[in-house]
Amino acid sequence: MSPGAISARRSLLKRTLTGYLFLSPALVFYLVFLVIPIGMSLYISFRDWNMLVPLANSRFVGLRNYIYLLTRDELFLIAVKNTIIYATGTVFAGMALALGVAMLLLKVRGATFWRFVMFAPVVTPSVAVARIWGGLYRPAEGLANAMLKMVHLPPQQWLADPDICLYSIMLIAVWSGIGATVIVFTAGLKGIPDVYYDAAKLDGAGPWAEFAHITVPMLKPTILFLSVTGLIGAWQAFDLIFMLAVGGTESGTSPVRSVIVLALYLYQMAFKNLRMGRACAGAFLLFLIVLAFSFIVLRVLRKGGVESYE
Amino acid sequence: MRRLIVLVVCLAMLLGLAATTGSAAAAKTKLVWQVHWSDFQVEGVYSGEGANRKLVSKGLRQYVEEYMKLHPDVEIEIQSVPMEEYLQKVLVARSSGVAPDLYGVYSLWGVQLTQNGILDTPPDAVVKDVRGNYTPVSVAGTTIGGKIWGIPMEVGNYCLVYNKELLKAKGFNAPPKTWSELVDMASKLTVRDKSGVITQYGFAFLAGWESAVVHPYLGLLWDLGGDFLSPDFRKCVVNSPEGVQALEAELQLFKTGGTDPAGSVWSFPQGKVAMMIMASWYEQSLKQGLGDKYDKVVGVAPVPYIKKPVNAGYTWFLAVDSASKNKKAAWDFLMWFSADVQKPKSTTRLGDLMVETIGGLPCREIDLANHPDTLNDLYTRTFVEQLKNSRPEPNVAQGAEVKTILANEIVEAWHGRKSAKQALDDAAIKINEILSEFY
Repeated sequence: MSPGAISARRSLLKRTLTGYLFLSPALVFYLVFLVIPIGMSLYISFRDWNMLVPLANSRFVGLRNYIYLLTRDELFLIAVKNTIIYATGTVFAGMALALGVAMLLLKVRGATFWRFVMFAPVVTPSVAVARIWGGLYRPAEGLANAMLKMVHLPPQQWLADPDICLYSIMLIAVWSGIGATVIVFTAGLKGIPDVYYDAAKLDGAGPWAEFAHITVPMLKPTILFLSVTGLIGAWQAFDLIFMLAVGGTESGTSPVRSVIVLALYLYQMAFKNLRMGRACAGAFLLFLIVLAFSFIVLRVLRKGGVESYE
Repeated sequence: MRRLIVLVVCLAMLLGLAATTGSAAAAKTKLVWQVHWSDFQVEGVYSGEGANRKLVSKGLRQYVEEYMKLHPDVEIEIQSVPMEEYLQKVLVARSSGVAPDLYGVYSLWGVQLTQNGILDTPPDAVVKDVRGNYTPVSVAGTTIGGKIWGIPMEVGNYCLVYNKELLKAKGFNAPPKTWSELVDMASKLTVRDKSGVITQYGFAFLAGWESAVVHPYLGLLWDLGGDFLSPDFRKCVVNSPEGVQALEAELQLFKTGGTDPAGSVWSFPQGKVAMMIMASWYEQSLKQGLGDKYDKVVGVAPVPYIKKPVNAGYTWFLAVDSASKNKKAAWDFLMWFSADVQKPKSTTRLGDLMVETIGGLPCREIDLANHPDTLNDLYTRTFVEQLKNSRPEPNVAQGAEVKTILANEIVEAWHGRKSAKQALDDAAIKINEILSEFY
């Protein structure tokens, strides 16, 4: 190798090392707070560990924790089902509603005020949200049943009826998160050039055709972003369900099976049942579910979605 | 230069002082006590503000300070954590090698803590004192595998709490004594609006956490002569005919319209619940919720029975960490706190704290006998009387998990999703699987 080539190589190595040196704080951070904990969780998921003895003294059980969860633990499978209903329901219903509201707000006066009103629940602590809705859902004196009475519909036991309890909580989740989604959709809608709508009008397109063939396709990057981030958040739902239906509810007895979601199941498995191995195995199965759903969403919205980010 | 010399001398003095203080502190025996009590229970109850602020009843800190004054070589630090995080904190502290020396342990956690070597074996003097001076239900609660593991601290049990005014308005001058009377009265005391929604519950079940659902059921099960687990803990026998009958007795309240799953005991202070089975710790909340009406409204009676009166009890006990470097000092302190009888009342400090500030039932016989003013009051008197009919929940391995399974199945039956038999059969299958891991 010629001296020039050696020098060029050294220079490249130096630059690469310098780059890594600058990156090192971030790399160390991710290593300590992400890679090592994930590796530890994976390791624990193959062991029977109750946290009362050192991890090294725990028993290696291979895939037994995974097999137990997938084949013998009815509550885990119920939690998976509930989580899928909760996540897809809150994210997609929330997005549909938010898109409608965002489009409406582009056409009304005082839109800024209404956006502020809609955003208020986003910054309200979930404990307060749970308290407020717990009161609204009370069967005898709650506003929800009073409204049903006004339209001559039968009253409901919103948080105590196993058939509707999860949906009642999903409604709260949609309400409390809609403001942020509206803001993102508003930005997306404002980014669609008017020329497309003008051209469509000239071609005789009606409002529905404009919505289906211009608005939705042009919003695909926004929909993709909201779907993926929303789903990732919704898989980890815990606080509202814990406060309204599990942890000492004031609104009667909620049927745990009807509302239990994966994050709650994992918490109970780890810290109440002291089965950390099983909880970690459950966490990894949750990770696989999130990954699978994210891929499905990316696949469905690929055209005009992912490509738009490239 | 002169300034520099002065600065150096000052620094040297400060360092010297710090070293002296440090060595003095190092010479002290330090004990860390993790408690699940709230602020006023730890710091004491005060009245007045500023200069007029006066201690009304002592909290744990005042007792600890008293001990430290008597034993200047001992320093005790109190770490207060919420009850629901208590066990997690123990686990985390243990994993990180900074475990407390003293615990207040819920008896149900005790099995795992002892099986995994977390708790220290009490000295013979402690065991002898516990066996000789405490109520049977609390001694049983502190016993795991035939061995006493600590000093009973607090015992809890259940009674029927009823609204005297609501009962009187319907012509009932006395609370129900038997379960069938309860079912009958509950349906008559229930009021519905035009749409059929209950606006006043004849009876509301305690719910929201496992013990709330399971303890009253266990009382009925034992009342009928049934059992939850076999004596050797190898088998769950809750689906016996007695077990099914006990759950069906609870379901009678739903079937006859005396309650529904939306009923909440927390609505009692608003006058929306006529009767409920409640624990001994609810007195202060009722007093706060009802204010001046408390005496007129609240009545307490033994839990209505089917065959014989039994109610479920639970115990918290004081224990020492096996990894503590100061185990002797820890047990010495606990004995001073729980067994040293004070004049003129002839009570213990732990008993005084429990009765006067915490609001719980003490476990030592003399503390139950010698706090007449507080323990003979409208609310607590019946709970104390019913200690003789209290039976402790079994101290079984994976107790919390086992109890959660039973609670979830009972709630399924309450909601009409399963029959009593089906719910208890399902519970037994799952619980047997857990028991087979440990017994």
